[in-house]
Amino acid sequence: MLHKKVWDPLVRVFHWSLVILFASNALITNPEKATHRYIGYTVVGLVLFRILWGLIGTRHARFSNFPPNPAAAVGQLADMATGRKRVHLGHTPLGALMIYNLILTMLVIGTSGYMMTTLAFFGIEWVEELHEAAVTWAEISIVLHIAAVIWESLRTGVNLPRAMVTGYKDIPAESLISE
Amino acid sequence: MAPGIRPVVLVILIAVQAVCAAFFVWDDVSDYLTMGANAFDLHQAVEYLVTLSPILAIVIEARLLAYLLRREAHMERGLSIAAGALNDLMLGHFAAWGLTPSEQDVATFLIKGCDIAEIARLRGSAEGTVKAHLNAIYRKADVSGRAALVSILIEDLMSQPLIQRTGTDAPNGK
Repeated sequence: MLHKKVWDPLVRVFHWSLVILFASNALITNPEKATHRYIGYTVVGLVLFRILWGLIGTRHARFSNFPPNPAAAVGQLADMATGRKRVHLGHTPLGALMIYNLILTMLVIGTSGYMMTTLAFFGIEWVEELHEAAVTWAEISIVLHIAAVIWESLRTGVNLPRAMVTGYKDIPAESLISE
Repeated sequence: MAPGIRPVVLVILIAVQAVCAAFFVWDDVSDYLTMGANAFDLHQAVEYLVTLSPILAIVIEARLLAYLLRREAHMERGLSIAAGALNDLMLGHFAAWGLTPSEQDVATFLIKGCDIAEIARLRGSAEGTVKAHLNAIYRKADVSGRAALVSILIEDLMSQPLIQRTGTDAPNGK
């Protein structure tokens, strides 16, 4: 068993704050109220911080460590199709695509939400529809993300949710290991 | 099977259909919520069919994708026609024996001459796991060991021409 530090504290705090804040706004808060707006702005702030951290952060936090790579993503699908156990130290290629998807979606939600508060766009239908469609898209993505994390954990024997809490991946010794 | 289709094309197709399917499901659910019992007339029945068809297509495409990825996992660039034919022949047998994806991968390495330690290293799994896969392969193929397994394929290869005049890349795998 390999015990490897992969996620720095800021990556983990970002991840779980985003979980709590997005869930609050999607499921609990009243969209008409100020709380919904403040939480929304905080989410945008968090995402902007994450983008900055993706440029200057620690090794596995940087975008250069998990660039969008279709060939590597197909390679990960091939590992699934053949039952080969390849563990990626940082984000997996498919996981990376999900991260870019979620970052973009959060920014679309935040921007359209802000537009609804401005005089120029208040009450304009397409802005409201974009906001709601992006939220639905985010919810579908999150369900897919959770399912994929559970599947990948069972498949490779690395407990990924725990790694996002502790920062360490426990990797079976015989695994194939990629960056 | 599906010559010329590249996995990445299938992945894109699946992704597009998944978005469509998600939209249709969402549309059906909101129709049901607003219409209640009226959501079961002829018009709605057609809509449910429209929802169902991309989902079925995704299932079929995913199976095809898994097949193509398994096939490519053992093919190298500039592969000879004979090796491609052997690969397709093996996959045909594996499907007929009902081998799991992992067992198919192990069996292919086995036929290529890898030993247990090498297969374990190539697949990132423990040797005990590979041994369990081997037992399952021999049981499902109803053979006594590697030599008997390879001889099944050799027999097939010798009983029919490797290169067909029509130019297809695979002999009849059945």
